[in-house]
Amino acid sequence: MATPVSVLRLPKGPDPNSRGFDPKSPRFIALCRTSIATSASSETNAEQLPIEQHARSVLRETFLRCLLSMTNKKVQFLMHERVKVEATFGASDIDVLNFQVSDLHTPIGVQKEALIRCQDVISFTFDPV
Amino acid sequence: MAMRQTPLTCSGHTRPVVDLAFSGITPYGYFLISACKDGKPMMRQGDTGDWIGTFLGHKGAVWGATLNTDATKAATAAADFTAKVWDAVSGDEVLTLAHKHIVKTVNFTKDSTCLLTGGNDKLLRLYDLINPEAAPQEIAGHTSAIKKALWCNNDKQILSAADDKTIRLWDRSSMEEVKQLKFDTAVSSMEYLADGEILVITYGKTIGFYNALSLDLIKTVDAPAPINSASLHPDKDFFVAGGEDFKLYKFDYGTKEELESYKGHFGPVHCVRFSPDGELYASGSEDGTLRLWQTAVGKTYGLWKCVLPEELGLENSEQLYTTPPEIKA
Repeated sequence: MATPVSVLRLPKGPDPNSRGFDPKSPRFIALCRTSIATSASSETNAEQLPIEQHARSVLRETFLRCLLSMTNKKVQFLMHERVKVEATFGASDIDVLNFQVSDLHTPIGVQKEALIRCQDVISFTFDPV
Repeated sequence: MAMRQTPLTCSGHTRPVVDLAFSGITPYGYFLISACKDGKPMMRQGDTGDWIGTFLGHKGAVWGATLNTDATKAATAAADFTAKVWDAVSGDEVLTLAHKHIVKTVNFTKDSTCLLTGGNDKLLRLYDLINPEAAPQEIAGHTSAIKKALWCNNDKQILSAADDKTIRLWDRSSMEEVKQLKFDTAVSSMEYLADGEILVITYGKTIGFYNALSLDLIKTVDAPAPINSASLHPDKDFFVAGGEDFKLYKFDYGTKEELESYKGHFGPVHCVRFSPDGELYASGSEDGTLRLWQTAVGKTYGLWKCVLPEELGLENSEQLYTTPPEIKA
């Protein structure tokens, strides 16, 4: 009489609430670190990676220096829903999620102190002089 | 002591599973992708069948699915006239490749730079994944819908099987037909083993083994029922086949002897493939499930545990299930 092979458990089925690909899984963390895909994921040659990394560093530094030079200057923000506002730039938070501004000119008046949500901003311009 | 095979059922799909493919062995194990008529291909951990994620985006039945060797990319072929390339780590859709008809088959080159597609428009297409906006190269010749297309001979050649009852070998650089095999009946499936250059073809009740370079016949084996898919073990000692009688058959490749048959599926078996390490094989069926079967029944591997006779009577054996409960899809 043959005994059926024992199993530890059954295979896990799909999660009804998500499409899976757990971002906390070791494979995801190891292979998906950046939010913008690098050339590494499309298998171009390894010599390109340091060049790409250098380009990223340059871009990041330029962006941070831009934020520094904006301090206490009047900045025009172009935002979603055709919003154009002007304010005096104060500071950004560390993850660039919010900008702290003063004297924000809005269609319904001037706000002395305000936080602008960065994900709503399409672009901003200022005169560095 | 004789052990009875306990297949592991992977549920989740709601319609027939028509194609499945394994990745190569990666530092994170190996993976499995299944194509389903419900339009939602799924990726699973290869040795346990645990669900990893579902690729969402197709608007029609998915007829073909594949993973690249290191399981970082997936490709799918669907009835919505598109083939899609996916990031197999994040599950995001990376590319949509528009076709003029139902796409049935997709296959990556070893370096994942080129995707081969084929379908009901009778054309083979080669997409350069580094320059995806560029128009694909097209190979015409088949006179009916293409069922399966594969890279072979170190990605220098292409093998295609179509409803015109032919299998054709094409040269990638010249885009010309090199050889053709004609059959009396439609070929139901094709598998290519790079190691040994063997082509496994199924048609009617027959499983045929051919040299993939010359298309010379090595041998044929007949099964008790019409076969839809077969797979040769990486060590080339066994092969498995499944088809219209819902059973999985295991044969000795050398002697052609039928060794075992397994019941389990509730519908015809559409696809069967050995894992890259040969320790298990997966089958996809009309019943909407995938089942994993052990090559060496009773061995400890994945979720299967070898239990010695003395252990079976122990008090603390709650963690071991001797008969897994059937889960209805």
